[in-house]
Amino acid sequence: MTTTTAARVVDAVKVYGTGDTGVRALDGVSVDFPVGRFTAIMGPSGSGKSTLMHCAAGLDTLTSGAAHVGDTDLSTLDDRRLTLLRRDRVGFVFQAFNLVPTLTVAENIRLPLDLAGAEGDPEWIAALIDVVGLRDRLHHRPSELSGGQQQRVAVARAFAGQPDVVFADEPTGNLDSRSGEEVLGLLGRAVRQTSRTVVMVTHDPMAAAHADEVVFLADGRLVDRMTAPTADKVLDRMKAFEVPS
Amino acid sequence: MNARNTRSRNARNTRSRSARNTRNTTVRLSVSSLRAHKRRFAGTFLAVFLGVAFLAGTLVMGDTLRASFDTMFGNATSGTDAVVRSADAITTPGESEGVREPVDTDLVSTIERVPGVAAAAPDIQGAGQLVGKDGDPIGGQGPPTLAGNWITDPDLNPYRLAEGRAPERSGEVVVNRGTAERGALKIGDTTTLRTPDPLKVTIVGLATFGGEDGMAQVTFTGMTRADAEKYLTAEPGEAAGIQVRAGPGVSQQELVDRLTPVLPEGVEAITGQESARENTEMISSQFLTLFTTFLLVFSGVALLVATFSIHNTFAIVVAQRTRENALLRALGASRRQVTAATLAEATAVAVTASAAGLAGGTGIAAGLQALFPAIGFPFPEGDLVISALSMTLPLAVGILVCLGSALLPAVRVGRTAPLAALRETAVDTSGASRARAVTGLGLGALAIGVTLTGVLVSPSVWLAGFGAVLALASFVVLGPVASTTAVRILGGPLDRLRGVTGALARRNALRSPKRTAATASALMIGVAVVSLFTVFGASLKATMDQTVSRSFAGDVAVSTPSFGAGGSGLSPRLADAVQRLPEVDTAVGLGRGVAEVDGRGRALTVTDPVALERTFDLGEIKGSLRGLGTDGIALTRKEADRQNLATGDQARLTFTDGEQQTFTVRAVYGRSELAGDYIITREAWAPHRTQDADTLLAVSFKDGVGTDEGKAAVEKTAARYGNPDVQTRDEYAQSSAGGIDMMLTLVYALLALAVLIALLGIANTLTLAVHERTRELGLLRAVGQTRAQLRAMVRWESVLVAAFGTAGGLALGAFLGWVLVKASDSTSDSAFAFALPPLQLALVALVGLTAGALAGLRPASRAARLDVLRAIATE
Repeated sequence: MTTTTAARVVDAVKVYGTGDTGVRALDGVSVDFPVGRFTAIMGPSGSGKSTLMHCAAGLDTLTSGAAHVGDTDLSTLDDRRLTLLRRDRVGFVFQAFNLVPTLTVAENIRLPLDLAGAEGDPEWIAALIDVVGLRDRLHHRPSELSGGQQQRVAVARAFAGQPDVVFADEPTGNLDSRSGEEVLGLLGRAVRQTSRTVVMVTHDPMAAAHADEVVFLADGRLVDRMTAPTADKVLDRMKAFEVPS
Repeated sequence: MNARNTRSRNARNTRSRSARNTRNTTVRLSVSSLRAHKRRFAGTFLAVFLGVAFLAGTLVMGDTLRASFDTMFGNATSGTDAVVRSADAITTPGESEGVREPVDTDLVSTIERVPGVAAAAPDIQGAGQLVGKDGDPIGGQGPPTLAGNWITDPDLNPYRLAEGRAPERSGEVVVNRGTAERGALKIGDTTTLRTPDPLKVTIVGLATFGGEDGMAQVTFTGMTRADAEKYLTAEPGEAAGIQVRAGPGVSQQELVDRLTPVLPEGVEAITGQESARENTEMISSQFLTLFTTFLLVFSGVALLVATFSIHNTFAIVVAQRTRENALLRALGASRRQVTAATLAEATAVAVTASAAGLAGGTGIAAGLQALFPAIGFPFPEGDLVISALSMTLPLAVGILVCLGSALLPAVRVGRTAPLAALRETAVDTSGASRARAVTGLGLGALAIGVTLTGVLVSPSVWLAGFGAVLALASFVVLGPVASTTAVRILGGPLDRLRGVTGALARRNALRSPKRTAATASALMIGVAVVSLFTVFGASLKATMDQTVSRSFAGDVAVSTPSFGAGGSGLSPRLADAVQRLPEVDTAVGLGRGVAEVDGRGRALTVTDPVALERTFDLGEIKGSLRGLGTDGIALTRKEADRQNLATGDQARLTFTDGEQQTFTVRAVYGRSELAGDYIITREAWAPHRTQDADTLLAVSFKDGVGTDEGKAAVEKTAARYGNPDVQTRDEYAQSSAGGIDMMLTLVYALLALAVLIALLGIANTLTLAVHERTRELGLLRAVGQTRAQLRAMVRWESVLVAAFGTAGGLALGAFLGWVLVKASDSTSDSAFAFALPPLQLALVALVGLTAGALAGLRPASRAARLDVLRAIATE
């Protein structure tokens, strides 16, 4: 069976704590992330956008509801299978501390493949390295790279195993705007030129503008979606959240 | 005036209040951080605890044993007010107790006539080993096996009759209760007493010594005076000493003063107290001192290992807290305050762990006191003796070790720049600095130079020992330099074997060379000491082997246990009996005598020199062993050189009976080893002999007689002379080395403690490292590292660190073993062989690696339990 969604969550509820002190981080969110699309998740801090990403990516489990990567229901997987799923079918780009300091650039890119003991597709990886423009840095250690370069390595790592979906959590949060642009451009190109799927959490309208679609979260609920976003439109929508209702 | 006073008092108050506050803050800081990092200090606590407990246990046990022996001897000899004996003792090198000339038993009647003497009894003593119910001799593996006359005056006899009666007829004996129990003998049983001639005896009574079942492991057989004179002395009328009891109102000193004028020249009287003190001293110096020194050395090793573990823990904890401390500094804490906070923390750990160690040590001593009787060692009853020294010393050492180890890290804390609070991480990755490499190599070169000088050029144990210490220091200094290369090489195969997991493990071990080296150093010292003993033990065995194969030309040997004063030796008539066998070509017995040669106490070999030459390879001989006669002596080249003697020269020998005789050097031979340094004939020895016994009988068979056939024949004959073991050449070589294995087992058991502490150190360092790498581990888990892979990664890192420590330890241990062997070789008379036992050393390596794998278990499972999200989110 083929599907057009790379990942989706249905009626996702995540409660931290119990009883009166319980916090509903996600309160019945349903959202699809279609194949070949670059989706941005936006919302003010505390809106549950990071929780949504963690649950959709198999880093965290839902209190109720379902999360799927492709056709796989994540709730049916134990820790080991979840790990293998993350390794083989999901890519990650975090805000900071993306790379293993003891491994070289090349080894960091190949890390998920090496952990799986897989060869991967050498042509694909070679192409990736060229796309991120780090061919001359392959044998450097992360500490010898700039922040932007480090994030580009992380992007290459995320795509190295040709995963179903790449989740990026504030990938430009720690970068200056020029480096940020580069990383976002890379993500966008990967989606458009190679039909990959990217889900990115951000609070930066400029970053969200690189996506095909933006979903807005507030208080753990999905409140809006916007296709063909621009920085201004996103900014306007975000400002609406700040007006007390 | 008043106002000023008040003001100044106020100022003073404020000052002192603020000083108090500062102190409180410091204490509060360290207490709260201790509470927050309990786990981190668990390893440090255990290391100090174990070291201190071992030290305290040793001291308390030593004191308790010493006090018990004091009481025992005091009780046993309380009725003896004076002892009369020969004034001079001949002491040979390597012996603590000299041999005294016997006194004439006729002296007893002279003494009895002295006013103030209530009673006097001769004390006739010799070696006598009882055979147990199962046919095996009792004791003889160290402590003496004594026989003597049963002194009928109960006050003069240190033994008390507990059951049965005193011996009345020839062949009746009293045995101390401990010996009877060990041999499963009871009153009415008939058994054999080797004196060394086998003697049928019937047990008629059981005795105690000072309220105990025996004088430690010493066996005692009391016989009638006539039997004792017949079997234990060369001729009747000789006694080791005379015990004297004073009449009412005569003090011990008065008694001695009255006795002295009537005694012939060369005979002295000492008080009973003095005699008891000498006995206690003797057992202390022979057994207790050796025993406690041995244990103290091992607690020293354990504490040295602990030093590294503790230092490492503090260094890491301090590094991890850099940001916290920098923040404190930024907020206005002084350098002194942050340093003091760390030291206060160390003090708290040191004091609690040391105090717990004292309690633990006392427990160990109490446990041993309960355990010893169960394994047949009569640990005298009585309360534990807990002296101030045995409490304060371990406490001080524990605190000193802990504080000393924490000092450097604490000073480093003080240097934390306030700005460090803003930096991301602060893991010390330095280590392989040029200065360190140069210092380490310099130390190493110096160590080799000093050692080689001490071993080869001008033999000196002290110089060699100093070289060994330098070698250890250079290994420790070079550790961080070597760790990078070593881990790279040792971990090389890991990449291929374990893929990225292995590569990660290897690089984690490479991250902080200083830390890896310090962690490994602890294990290195443990492994080095283990290998040192392994190499030394193997070398001793090889030496024995070499000695036997080189100088023993016979086919079988009959020998007594090779170490300790126990056993009764061989019947001197056995040699003649074996010689008469049709299978035997030559049978030569070697006896042992003692004499002063030109004023120095020396052991003599008493034998038939002609037969000796046939069964032993004596090397190059100048002169001839044939005509020694009653006034000739042969000696080794080494002794000849030392005493400046050559063939034809005269040497004056003083025997234990006080007689002096001039001997002519008739032969100088090259190889001493089994034959001893001085040889005289049985005829020459006969006038001066004491209790006759041979220590070794060497037998060579006639041509065409097989070893098995000949051995069986000798065994049959030996059975009639107390049934000593008959051994082939190989068996003889092996049994000569038998004690070495026993010693090694004990050493290994004790060193297990040091290895355990090293293992705790590795585990602790890894736990801290795992904590430090929380985010990285989270990342690895997020991108697909399974828990099993994560665990394997941590475990392999642990194994790698252990492998580095083990490799260094093996190298250092082998080197020190070589030094010890060579130093022993050049400072002693016998030639030492050096041997590296590959199998045992491989086993040591395996143990080291296993220790590493074990140490990695807990940190690995803790790391694997990390929650991925929390790990990523960690600040």
